[in-house]
Amino acid sequence: MQTTIESMFDNAENRYLELEELNILTTYVESLPERIDAYRCLRDQEVTIMQKVADQLETNFSTESQQTLERCLKNALLVMRYAAMAMLRNDAESLDRQLMGWLTETNAVYNTQTIDTVLYQLLNQQLGSILTQAQLTLFRPHLAIAEKAIVEPNKTTVVA
Amino acid sequence: MISISDLLIDNRIPSNYFASDTYVKGDLELGLLENRRGDRLLALPSTLIEGMYAGLKQETGQASGMVLFNCGLWWGKNFYARFCEELTEYYRTAVADMPMVEFLQNLKQCWTTHGWGRIELDQSYYDRGFIMVKVWNSPFAKFAENATTPSCFLESGVLTSFFSQLTGRDLKCVQTTCESMGADCNQFVIGLIKRMKPAEEMVAQGLNHDDIMAQLQN
Repeated sequence: MQTTIESMFDNAENRYLELEELNILTTYVESLPERIDAYRCLRDQEVTIMQKVADQLETNFSTESQQTLERCLKNALLVMRYAAMAMLRNDAESLDRQLMGWLTETNAVYNTQTIDTVLYQLLNQQLGSILTQAQLTLFRPHLAIAEKAIVEPNKTTVVA
Repeated sequence: MISISDLLIDNRIPSNYFASDTYVKGDLELGLLENRRGDRLLALPSTLIEGMYAGLKQETGQASGMVLFNCGLWWGKNFYARFCEELTEYYRTAVADMPMVEFLQNLKQCWTTHGWGRIELDQSYYDRGFIMVKVWNSPFAKFAENATTPSCFLESGVLTSFFSQLTGRDLKCVQTTCESMGADCNQFVIGLIKRMKPAEEMVAQGLNHDDIMAQLQN
């Protein structure tokens, strides 16, 4: 659940929620079926879409070691899972707090930005073929945060 | 050919084990704070740290630093064992087989999640036999009053034990700057015991960090 709603519940310790607060809650609840559908789609199609990305990545980087490509793909799988959960909860901060600080520092050591750039282009193409426009609108902002942190680590500030 | 199914062992990919959201749990009805595998955690009141410092100073005078350092050694010995145990269990790989970058990244996250401040490791002196560690927002520096010398003795002890066990060598950690003396962060230098002896003397003489490092490398 998004941080705003969590803190709203906490703040309403001994009072009823204000009308404005109830509207925020209603908006989130009304968006939940779409969020759950998108989450289910990403979960069910995980292996299929990532396999297509992996196949293309191997073609594009045929001289790169399998270990390096596998590391990039594993990180992308992680990012997708965390981003999907962040979308479900509408909580971009959780992605930053739980994964990105940790992942970007580790990733920086391996210097795989060139591979990651192509990987995320391929991934975005695949997402366009499995998610509806409405679902993409919900999911893409979360993935974009992660993508930027990995592909352009020097231009991104993440909470360590 | 890469198989995505093969990358997903038991449909899991280990990630940030010490992430605070998932690491710290609580059964508040029983009065327990726990980590994610059920080991007990304690919230240490800042006044207790102040009280320990004051009590030790009163009872042992100048030896209080040595007492705290020895407490840190004991803490570090157990901390290292538990840290490795948790990583091995979670990543399903021996610590010796884990990439050093992931091991150190976990140490940093672990340190932060436990509220001991933010820790950074600087390996630029590694080829000259020293490991540099920086800690910001240390709770152990914050409560040292009117310090004239670095006062994170507990951390020095922990880091001594931790890196001695990690490297399999008898190392010593010496603190060269301290937040309690107005420094931006707490800096620690770790190296072989005999090489660190002069550093202890230079700290006692009040030399600054850069001068100490310059002389240590001579």
